[in-house]
Amino acid sequence: MLGVGTIVFFMSQLNPVDPTAALLGDDVNLETIAAKRAELGLDRPVLEQYFDWLSSAVRGDLGESWFTGESVTTELIRRANVTFSIVFGSLLIALTLGVSLGVMAAIKAGRWQDRLITVTSSLGIAVPNFWVALILAAVFAVKLGWFPAIWTGERTETLGGWLYSIVLPCIALGTASSAAIARQTRSSMIGVLQQDYIRTALAKGLPVRRVLFRHALRNAAIPVVTLVGFQLSALIGGAIFVEFIFNVPGLGTAGVDSVLRKNVPVTLGFVMITTFVVVVANILLDMSYAWLNPKVRK
Amino acid sequence: MSEIELLVAEPIPPADGSGLEDGDAGDGKNRFWIRFKRNKVALAAAGFLMVLAVCSVLLAPFITGHDPNQATNFSDFFKPPSGDYWLGTDAVGRDILTRIVYGGRYALLAGLIACTVALGIGIPLGLLIGYFRGWVDRIIMRFVETLVAIPAVVLAIAIIAVVGPGLVKAMFAIGIVYSMVITRLTRAEVFAAREELYVDGARASGASNRRIMFRHILPNIAPALIVQTTLLFAQSVLAEAALSFLGLGANQDQVSWGLMLNNAKTNINRAIWPAIPPGLAIFVTVVAFNVLGDGLRDAFGREARGGRVGVGDVVRAPASGAGPSRDSIVSVRDLSVHFPRPGTSEDVAVVQGVNFDIAHGEVLALVGESGSGKSISALSLLGLVPDPGQASASSIMFDGEELVGKDFDELRSIRGKEIGLISQEPSAALNPAYTVGRQISEPLRHHLGLSKSAARQRTIELMTRVGIPNPEVRIDAYPHQFSGGMAQRVVIAMALACRPKLLIADEPTTALDVTVQGQVLDLLGELSEELGVSVLLITHDLGVVADLADRVAVMYAGQIVETGRLAEVFHEPNHPYTEGMIRAIPRNENRSSELATIPGVVPPPWQWPTGCHFAPRCDYADERCDQPIELQPAGHSLTRCVRAEELDLDGVANESVVLGIGGAAAFQNPGETSKATEEVPRYD
Repeated sequence: MLGVGTIVFFMSQLNPVDPTAALLGDDVNLETIAAKRAELGLDRPVLEQYFDWLSSAVRGDLGESWFTGESVTTELIRRANVTFSIVFGSLLIALTLGVSLGVMAAIKAGRWQDRLITVTSSLGIAVPNFWVALILAAVFAVKLGWFPAIWTGERTETLGGWLYSIVLPCIALGTASSAAIARQTRSSMIGVLQQDYIRTALAKGLPVRRVLFRHALRNAAIPVVTLVGFQLSALIGGAIFVEFIFNVPGLGTAGVDSVLRKNVPVTLGFVMITTFVVVVANILLDMSYAWLNPKVRK
Repeated sequence: MSEIELLVAEPIPPADGSGLEDGDAGDGKNRFWIRFKRNKVALAAAGFLMVLAVCSVLLAPFITGHDPNQATNFSDFFKPPSGDYWLGTDAVGRDILTRIVYGGRYALLAGLIACTVALGIGIPLGLLIGYFRGWVDRIIMRFVETLVAIPAVVLAIAIIAVVGPGLVKAMFAIGIVYSMVITRLTRAEVFAAREELYVDGARASGASNRRIMFRHILPNIAPALIVQTTLLFAQSVLAEAALSFLGLGANQDQVSWGLMLNNAKTNINRAIWPAIPPGLAIFVTVVAFNVLGDGLRDAFGREARGGRVGVGDVVRAPASGAGPSRDSIVSVRDLSVHFPRPGTSEDVAVVQGVNFDIAHGEVLALVGESGSGKSISALSLLGLVPDPGQASASSIMFDGEELVGKDFDELRSIRGKEIGLISQEPSAALNPAYTVGRQISEPLRHHLGLSKSAARQRTIELMTRVGIPNPEVRIDAYPHQFSGGMAQRVVIAMALACRPKLLIADEPTTALDVTVQGQVLDLLGELSEELGVSVLLITHDLGVVADLADRVAVMYAGQIVETGRLAEVFHEPNHPYTEGMIRAIPRNENRSSELATIPGVVPPPWQWPTGCHFAPRCDYADERCDQPIELQPAGHSLTRCVRAEELDLDGVANESVVLGIGGAAAFQNPGETSKATEEVPRYD
């Protein structure tokens, strides 16, 4: 975490463009620039700036936006709620769809159902999520008008209204992940179904359903969980595009905007919050390994 | 490894062609190309990418008469596809097809930059830390893990925040992100490779570190790197489009598919069409790279193929002789099992017309080498022949009930309740994710409907009975906390939980330490006597047979070649194969002489002759052996040999001399077999 912060902080110091120039426009004199630099604390030595930023960041204070002067933490956390609703929704879609299709393909291995799912998922992982988002937005929001084309999530306080506004972004984002999870589930299920303990379970006279979902899936889930870790990271990255297309005021739009406008505190905060969530998610995933696999328990 | 695994894991073929050439023989590179060329889809993908490269890089100006950045006619904006504009025009009247073709240049350039950067940083770094390990490894890996934790796009955006937007800069950023993947992969491969013998060999011959890394390790990790790079190329094409779409990549003079989508987005309210072709172009290119990567991976080595689950019931076959015996607990008639031959559509019979009966309380040993079909015959009784195998029989009578024709679910009331199964490898037979108690009590709760506490009580009793010390505690332990012998006791407890009438023991001691084998055999003998359960014992070990069996059926290449009472078959074998197996038993006498073996192995089923299956390996074979032969009475047993009457084969001469590999002496009084040292349970 802190490592990431440190790396990104010093990378931002390498920026050859003076941020204040972008901030104040071309038509300014040197005194104004110096005054602005002093106001933002940019005239201090780099290390001092770094430790100042770091000590605040540890306490949850990511500084203030150079443009609006608002607290970066407050602003980004508000936006993070939106982003992670979308990420969580897509993950839910990806897991449900991916695992059920993967299991289905594995138990029908070599049959037409398997081939259909394998081909579909090979194509699915190659679909650019921003393209899906663009087409969905164009067809269902602009052309058919079934869904709002601009973000309404904050104006509608009801759960229904909220779901309504995130459903298209979630589908767009979840497609590629569903396909990746389906592929992984299929291949690890096939591996597990060849194991002796599956034959033992069948030889006990248990129903196929129980053997598949109690005995096989739990063991097959271990590599799937690893993949979910990667997918989560990819979904958070992908959310940037989906937000951009659906005009969602999320983390991603803030991040891209800050890069284009050289709003360094926001860029730093964006990277920090994203990393924080990914790190926490990976800790949760590590805990699930212990539940799935008794051998790694202490 | 049991035959079942062999049948599933080994002959299941690549999509076409014969499975045999995939063996160890042959040059690695040739085999790679043979396999790769067989993969039509991957070839098509490679072809497509070549066409894309040639068209966009070299032929672009000749393909279309339009300029990618200038409208031919400024009034032609948002035109639908037509003769002039095959894919229509965009918001400022530029021809979309022209832009797609030119866009291929930037997509490939982007992938090239990113992959070059990724490999240029990743391989040397991975080799370095993988080779030197220690603190270098720890520090660099900490750094790499940190960067890998950030979503790739976010990291790329952070790098672009420093270096500024632009196609080349953006792809450098992507390349740096992907170099972390390559570093990790290279490091892991080097760690694995350096443990291999060839590195030791190279070092012993005095090669320098550098030489070892570049000459020995790099070529060996190349396959994994080639596959990964192909997939990263696909990701780079996606990433370029994505970043350009956000306005962080290509500028307006560069024709990028991502940028085309960005322009299309701006005008999406006026026309959807311009968004379709660039998206498809990205999609198809990425699919092609992915398919190529998967094809390369498959050509370097295939993953196991599976079959359907929940099939395996036995279909009815015409009866060839006498019907089933009503007095036996099990009576099998005309059992055959067919599998598709690898790489062809033709079926081969791995089990052919097997008949046997087991009386109440009797132990029948089914004996044979790996590949003889003995395990798969036994699994047919349970309806568990793995897909795509197909069992058929004219009759399988079990305890007065006809099992042939019952479907998978109807057989569930037999499995685990009436027939228990003990398999070869106890640690593999237990599910690693659940406690042994839960696994033993599962059939109790499922078949007998016991409550949770009653099932637990009964499980503890069972564990006590099979000799697991401290069952009240061990019931909550996981399989990996048991030694092999103790795990096999758990499997036995599980198989006996519902007091079955028949126990199928498939090589129950083969995977165990020699010292433990005798103990487990004794336990099986005791239990079968005490509970009056009949046993179908499958083994290749005549020592085990001598210890437990009442009757013997010797199987070779899918057929029973000799069957009779244990003592008779052992003393006066009538089939040369039986004689060969008896000769191969280690004996007390003649220790100094060399142990006899039967030369060769059981050939694969498609090479079995139409005449006597054993003839090619038989010392006594003559021209009469080319004719198919049935089981015929010979002496006290039934034998499948035309020369049975004229041959005088050697059996076991003396009752006390058969010493099994399990250390258990045959024809001894059961009481004399040693109890040996009690196994020490393992707590990990």
